[in-house]
Amino acid sequence: MDMFNAGGPEVSIRSLKKDSMKFVLSNCDLSVANALRRVMIAEVPTMAIDMVEIESNTTVLTDEFIAHRLGMIPLTSFDVDRIQYTRDCTCTLYCPNCSVELTLHVKVNVDIDEMNDATIDKTRHVTSIDLISSDESVKPVTDDKAHPILIVKMRPGQELKLKCIAKKGVAKEHAKWSPVYGVAFEYDPYNKLRHSHYWIEESVESEWFVSPNAQEETPPDPNEPFDYNAKPEKYYMELETSGCMKPEDVVLRAMTIMQDKLGGLQIKLDDEVTGEAQRWGY
Amino acid sequence: MHQPVAKFNTLEREHAFRHPSDKAYQTPALQEAVAPHIEAFNSLTEHGLGSKTGLLDLALQDIGFKAVFDKKDGGLGNKLTFWVDELALAKPTVSDRDRHSLTRQVYPTEARERLTTYKGKLQAKLAWRVNDGPVVVETRDMGLVPVMVRSNRCNLEGAFPKELVRRHEESEEFGGYFVVNGIEKLIRLLIVPRRNHVIALIRPSFTNRGPMYSHFGTAIRCTRADQTSQTNTVHYLNDGSSMLRFAWRKQEYLVPTMLVLKALIDTSDKEIFDTLMMGDLDNTFLTDRVELMLRSFKQYNLYTREQCLGYLGEKFRVVMNFPEDYTNVEVGEGLLRKIVLVHLKSNRDKFNLLIFMIRKVYALVAGECSPDNPDSPQHQEVLLGGHLYGAIIKEKVEDWLNSIRMQINQDVRRNVNVDFMDNRYFTKTLQKVSGVQDIGKKMSYFLATGNLVSNTGLDLQQATGYTIVAEKLNFYRYLAHFRCIHRGSFFAELKTTTVRKLLPEAWGFLCPVHTPDGSPCGLLNHLSHTCKVVTAPADVSRIPAILASLGVSQTIAPASGKDTIVVQLDGRIVGYCTSTQAKKVADALRMYKVTRAYNGAVPLDVELGYVPISHGGQYPGLYIFSEPARMMRPVRYLANGKTDMVGSFEQVYMEIACMDDEVRPGESTHQELAPTSMLSILANLTPFSDFNQSPRNMYQCQMGKQAMGTPATSIRYRTDNKMYRLQTGQTPIVRPALHNTYGMDGFPNGMNAVVAVISYTGYDMEDAMILNKSSHERGFGYGTIYKSEIVDLEDLRVRGEPILHHFGLGVDAPRAWREKLDRDGLPCIGVTLREGDPLCAYIDDTTGKTSIKKYKGMEEGIVDDVRLLGTDNGEGELQKIHIKLRITRSPIIGDKFSSRHGQKGVCSQKWPAVDMPFSESGIQPDVIINPHAFPSRMTIGMFVESLAGKSGALHGIAQDATPFTYNEKFTAADYFGEQLKAAGYNFHGNEPMYSGITGEEFKVDIYLGVVYYQRLRHMVSDKYQVRTTGPVHNLTMQPVKGRKRAGGIRFGEMERDSLLAHGVSFLLQDRLMNCSDYSLCHVCTRCGSITSPISKHAASSLSNVREMECRSCATTAGIDMIPLPYVFRYLATELMSMGIKVSLKTKP
Repeated sequence: MDMFNAGGPEVSIRSLKKDSMKFVLSNCDLSVANALRRVMIAEVPTMAIDMVEIESNTTVLTDEFIAHRLGMIPLTSFDVDRIQYTRDCTCTLYCPNCSVELTLHVKVNVDIDEMNDATIDKTRHVTSIDLISSDESVKPVTDDKAHPILIVKMRPGQELKLKCIAKKGVAKEHAKWSPVYGVAFEYDPYNKLRHSHYWIEESVESEWFVSPNAQEETPPDPNEPFDYNAKPEKYYMELETSGCMKPEDVVLRAMTIMQDKLGGLQIKLDDEVTGEAQRWGY
Repeated sequence: MHQPVAKFNTLEREHAFRHPSDKAYQTPALQEAVAPHIEAFNSLTEHGLGSKTGLLDLALQDIGFKAVFDKKDGGLGNKLTFWVDELALAKPTVSDRDRHSLTRQVYPTEARERLTTYKGKLQAKLAWRVNDGPVVVETRDMGLVPVMVRSNRCNLEGAFPKELVRRHEESEEFGGYFVVNGIEKLIRLLIVPRRNHVIALIRPSFTNRGPMYSHFGTAIRCTRADQTSQTNTVHYLNDGSSMLRFAWRKQEYLVPTMLVLKALIDTSDKEIFDTLMMGDLDNTFLTDRVELMLRSFKQYNLYTREQCLGYLGEKFRVVMNFPEDYTNVEVGEGLLRKIVLVHLKSNRDKFNLLIFMIRKVYALVAGECSPDNPDSPQHQEVLLGGHLYGAIIKEKVEDWLNSIRMQINQDVRRNVNVDFMDNRYFTKTLQKVSGVQDIGKKMSYFLATGNLVSNTGLDLQQATGYTIVAEKLNFYRYLAHFRCIHRGSFFAELKTTTVRKLLPEAWGFLCPVHTPDGSPCGLLNHLSHTCKVVTAPADVSRIPAILASLGVSQTIAPASGKDTIVVQLDGRIVGYCTSTQAKKVADALRMYKVTRAYNGAVPLDVELGYVPISHGGQYPGLYIFSEPARMMRPVRYLANGKTDMVGSFEQVYMEIACMDDEVRPGESTHQELAPTSMLSILANLTPFSDFNQSPRNMYQCQMGKQAMGTPATSIRYRTDNKMYRLQTGQTPIVRPALHNTYGMDGFPNGMNAVVAVISYTGYDMEDAMILNKSSHERGFGYGTIYKSEIVDLEDLRVRGEPILHHFGLGVDAPRAWREKLDRDGLPCIGVTLREGDPLCAYIDDTTGKTSIKKYKGMEEGIVDDVRLLGTDNGEGELQKIHIKLRITRSPIIGDKFSSRHGQKGVCSQKWPAVDMPFSESGIQPDVIINPHAFPSRMTIGMFVESLAGKSGALHGIAQDATPFTYNEKFTAADYFGEQLKAAGYNFHGNEPMYSGITGEEFKVDIYLGVVYYQRLRHMVSDKYQVRTTGPVHNLTMQPVKGRKRAGGIRFGEMERDSLLAHGVSFLLQDRLMNCSDYSLCHVCTRCGSITSPISKHAASSLSNVREMECRSCATTAGIDMIPLPYVFRYLATELMSMGIKVSLKTKP
């Protein structure tokens, strides 16, 4: 495997913003890059509302509808390591060790004076701001104070009172725990490896766009013979987070998780090997 | 080429929703779509806008008076004449006895929510007089008649969105239906023969009338002013004469036409001959027959009109039921007035038209003209619900008057004190027939069942199936109900398929796409979206004068000349002229009509059907129609660019170009407003339907109506039995122009989904589709079902006893009940009910115990709403409640989805997002479908939609998908391809995609785009059937059938055959015996009978062991036990009862 430069995988960050990140992964196998993508999407734990106890709901939306909407609200999960999975916790249902409690109580009072004034907008927007968290580190993502996440619209006389239990989880279980909205992934923008066969009517040039990622690579030389041994080596990735954690954290955590997985495997294998060696006596 | 434009109008729509207007509708097109229903109902009381007379008044005039005689002093005695002076239908109000209501008006929502009928009081002014004495008038209540919502008898008449919302209706509520027992019912449009137009028929069944009858005939469906009709048929007899046939009170009568002709006016044989011949004396075919007809009539020895009328009157006296003091001549006149060509008032006109009918039938026999096709829309019109409703009311009023008469006649016969001079006698008689008086009840029955109970048959071909439920399954379906038009249930049973054919004459009137497949195919059609049904009578009083000025001769003298054709106005012959002249007349009238010349002497809704002379074609003439119930549609008049209305009769002989390049100068007179005019509302909503194979568009018209969508915005105030709701419906990115016109965004019907066309995982074979698990978790396709449960304690009450059951939860109620129910015995809002949970509780006064009604549904339901239903008077204790349950239906494997192109599929997997293929930008499809779904189905429209949806989503714009927008020079693929290119995507909509599992790029690029997906209401949760063991039929001991009863699925003969062929007999035994009706049975090995072994008496009282003994062999030896299917034992006993012995040869 001398095609990879010595020194192992490399990462170069092309751009880094508050909730998105572009980077190039190189010098590694496709499987590793894809594993990273998969882990980022589905296995990085975050916090999300998992249980909703509704005390009063006289809004136009049904209980289950509101509960579902609450679940989709991204919660800040910088400190998610501090919290345990409920399945690993000693408690029966939930406890402060494995959950964070958020409450919401909005009641729109009927104002007799305003009632008949059509100019006053009497609709109350219940948003993620109204969710009060018991834990400062786990609260709805509100980057944009002017446009918080709308939960339900209420009219005078309606009330919504509920308690949410946010738990730690991974997107494998439910999409709401995914830290990212999407992960872009590309390799070989010039299709030098000929993994794909572009469907055309006239010509590739006029009908197919060359991806912006191609800037990072040398354009193919038409006279160059096809290298059928070539392997993909540069992976252009971009991820956009829900705001629950920093994009670089998502990548780092994903790598840690992969490491842990391999570590676990190593330990298991070690045990197995010693056990087997004893049994077979060599 | 015009640039397609489409808009989301999100802000306007939101504004309109938040601030309902009190001046205008947001979507007036919806109001227009149901206008025929409402206008027809309005015409009952207001025939023509602003008119004082309604159809009911006209009906009363037609009924006339009834008379009875008390037979005092030998003769007829005193004459009591009575009639109904006036019928008044009031708007729905609360009962007079109600003392609690603040407002007297009742609104439709109350009827809907309280599961009652929305009805108004019908009052009749009954007038009577004795001999020539003073007229006494009394107002009688005729019961409460269901009233059409949003009609002029509805309290929501003319209401605008603001008021409608205040009354808990949809903001764009358009009415057109009745509320009967809380269910929305509408009278569906029916196709009937065109009124007042003579059609030539060849029917083999005509020969069954008698020995001389041929299969030739001409028929006319005449309508009276009150829109009731009477059909007259002229039969051609093989000897050359002709007979007039009509039906009266479901009984058929045949009268020689000559007799009718001579009875109509004072005429001579010469006049009849001349009018029939019309100067065509060379036509020996005609002369022979006319001569024969005139000669053969001599045998009747009737020479004068008087004699003919007297003859008719004598024969029909019993049938016609006229007052007894009528002379035969008067009866004869009455017959002609009430039955013969009833659309005409003057007998001269009737004479002329009957002559015309005879001429036409002779022309048909001679082969000079072709038969008219009664299945063609050219010879059809619409039976409007309002008109039918009026006709039924008319008949019921007449029935009432007749029953009064019969009651009095009976009294006279039985010699009970009949005293006409005593007003009390008459009122007492009225009380005796009060059962017939309640017209309201009869109308409610009609609407609730759709059954027509009638003595006369109302000149209609069916007795059932007139009403349908306006299901609010989704808005598409709801709207389609009002635009559907049925051919008549009579034709449904017909074996021939000719009636179902799509004829070119239907162009622009009936949608060629929107008809169901299967048994009602072609019979249940839908009106094209521009098609209107005329409901108002047009003022055509000045047309005869205009015709005369244009050179049409008068009818006073018999017309002559070979080239002479008839000019008819609503089935009245107004003159004759030459064929070329008629063409000019028609063209001139057309111009007057469109330009509104002479102050609109020729109204726009008038139809000018010019049929030119042809060789063996349709019988020529200029036929002008102005009466209601005709289908008309707008087209552009090329001469001046104005809009003209065109009817289905005239259209056949017109040159209407469709597209611009089809206009032929000098020939085309009209042009379509848009090529989409021919499609119904629903067919118009299929995006790019012109790209699809036509049956796919038909399928979409069906599936659009089955989609889970938004049935209503006022869901809170609805009590429908079952309602499907899609939680997060979206507006389609790709939408035809009519989507906005009809306000479809108010009722979203699906979701925009990212669709990849790829064969991936194998779980997308055979129309299965893979759903992205994360999409599902984020709410894709999430739906809810609302179900109604009604509990009426009245059912428990014994008639005559006081109320003994009260809602409530007594102290004896167990704890489990208290978790679900409140102290009032009603379920708590938001509580989840499982099978067997209490729905509500009530206390029985006699026992003092609390009982419950159990929730029987198999699925969990959440109590959404509890309604307390009171009585009409607002008094009395609460006895009836309505519970609305909400059943959540998240999409699961086995649920059905479809795009808008007839591409349905079943969800086969919810595939984890990480394993889904993804594009370079990280987009993962919500739905994966298999490419094999396309080659044979050719739904190119779906590809185009995908393309348009993708570019629309990328640019944030709505895409116009109106069919026939694109052509070969301006292709959709290029238009959207350029848009995609501008967004940095591949021109053709393809994208390189990567396997989610390996991360490797796919060998080929994948067609990825955004398609609007509908979730259909067919869900596995409603269909799955499992059974290991369960209830069995007690006669055969085999498993019962039916999902509801936890039954099995039949393993039938064909299935058996396949197992036999496969040679798996143990499986066969398992299915047909072990898992079915396995039984052990005693058999006598000696005689082989399984019926004869019976148990012996117990050997001793101590022993319980019973031995079996064969009755015929009289021994216990040789009794054995064998397994047998239980039905076999049953068969053996059945055979035994018929004296057949079944004997089994058993081997150890």
